[in-house]
Amino acid sequence: MNLLANLKIELVATGAKAGAPMISQFALMHYLAVGAVLFCIGLIGFISRRNLIVMFLCTELMFQGVAINLIAFSRYWGNLSGEAFVIFVLVIAAAEASLALGLVVLLFKQKATLDAGAWKSLQG
Amino acid sequence: MALTSDTILNASQTLASARGVLAVTSLVPPLAVIALCVVAAIGTILMLPGGRPKAWRVLGGVIAAAAGLTFLALLAKIGSDAQALGQVSPYFWLFAAISVVSAIRVITHDRPVYSALYFVLTVLSSAGFFILLGAEFMAAALVIIYAGAILVTYVFVIMLASEAVQTGVADGPIGISEVDGNTRDPVQAAAIGFLLMATLIFVIFDRGQGLSLPGDLDNTLPAIAKLPVVQGNTQSLGSFLFGTQLVSLQIAGLMLTISMIGAIVIARRRILLPAGSRVEVIDELTMPMTPPTDDPHSIPVVGTDNPRAKEYPQL
Repeated sequence: MNLLANLKIELVATGAKAGAPMISQFALMHYLAVGAVLFCIGLIGFISRRNLIVMFLCTELMFQGVAINLIAFSRYWGNLSGEAFVIFVLVIAAAEASLALGLVVLLFKQKATLDAGAWKSLQG
Repeated sequence: MALTSDTILNASQTLASARGVLAVTSLVPPLAVIALCVVAAIGTILMLPGGRPKAWRVLGGVIAAAAGLTFLALLAKIGSDAQALGQVSPYFWLFAAISVVSAIRVITHDRPVYSALYFVLTVLSSAGFFILLGAEFMAAALVIIYAGAILVTYVFVIMLASEAVQTGVADGPIGISEVDGNTRDPVQAAAIGFLLMATLIFVIFDRGQGLSLPGDLDNTLPAIAKLPVVQGNTQSLGSFLFGTQLVSLQIAGLMLTISMIGAIVIARRRILLPAGSRVEVIDELTMPMTPPTDDPHSIPVVGTDNPRAKEYPQL
C-alpha cells in the first residue's frame, strides 16, 4: 500500500496528471530559471545604472525573481509556506519602497542630482 | 495481488532508475548555456545606455533576443524529447518571454518613466506565472500592491525628482539627463550578472533533478490537503496565515508601521544646504507659524501667525 502511494506521488511529481495541484520537477526548473534570469537582470541593472530611482527599480526586479521561485516551490511541495513568505516579501518591498524613495527625494534635494556617484564620499 | 505489486515494484524501479540516470546527465549542456549567456551579455552591454547610436542598441537587442530564443528552442527541444518529464503550459512561454524582455527594457531604457512602465509589464507577467501556479490571491495582491501602489510611488518620485536635462550626453537623444544616458561599469556588471545567470541555470537544470520529491519530505508543514475544508487558494492561504503564521503577520504589520513613521521622519527633516547649491528649498520652520500651546494634540499651523486659523471658519 505504501508502495502504491509512493508510486502515485512519483507519477504526480514527474508530470502525470493525477488531479493533484502540483507541478512536475521539469516545470519547476523552468520557473526557477525564469526567476534566476529576472534576478540576474536586476543585479546587472543595479550595478550598472547610475540613476538612484532606476537602481531601486532593479531591486524590485530581483524581488520579482525571488517571488517566482518561492511560489513555484510552494506549488511543488504542495504547501502554502512559500506563498505566505511572498506576502512578507511584499511587505518588505513596500516598506523598502517608501523609505528608499523618501531618502532619494532627500538626497535629490541636497545635491540636485540623482547620480549615485555623487555620494561617492560615503564610501569612506 | 502478487502480480500487481510486482508490476508496481517494477514500474517504480523503472522510474527510480530513470531518475538516477537523469541525475547524472545534465538536461541542458553547460557549454551551450555559457555560450548563450556570453552572447546575451554582449547584447545587453550594447543595449545599455552609454551614448551609443541607436543602431548599436537595436543590434544589441537583436543579439540578446537571438540568444534568448535559442535558449527557449533548446528547452523546448528537451521538453519534446523527454515527454516523461512533463509538459509546461504554453502560457508559461508567453509570460517568460514578456517578463524577460520587459526586464531587459527596465535596465536598458534611458528614461526612468519608461523603465517604471516596463516594470509594470514584468509585474503583470509575474502575476500570470502566479496564476499558472495556482496562487490566485498572490497574483491579485501583486497587481494591486506592486503595479498599483509601489509603482505609483515610483512614478511620483520620478516626476518630483527629475533632473535638469541641459547637461545631456553629447550625441545622445534630446531630453535625457547625463545620469540616465550613461552607465557605470557596464562590462563588469554584465560579466558578473551573466556569469551568475549561467551558473544558476546550469545548477537548476542539473541539480534540480536531484531534488527530493514531495513524497520524500517528512512534511511537518500543513499541506493543502491537510488544511480544513476550504475553497480555493485565498481561503487556504488565509487560514494558513492566521492559523500558523499569526506572529509573523503581526510583525509584518509592525514593520509597515515603523517604515511609515520612518518615511514621515525622513520627509520632515530639515535640510542643510551647502553653499552655492542650485536648489531652493523652502525651510518650512522659518515660515510664520501659530505659537505652540500646552495641548499635546495641538499641531502648529504653518504659514500664518493667526492662532484663530486653526479654528473652523464661522459660517
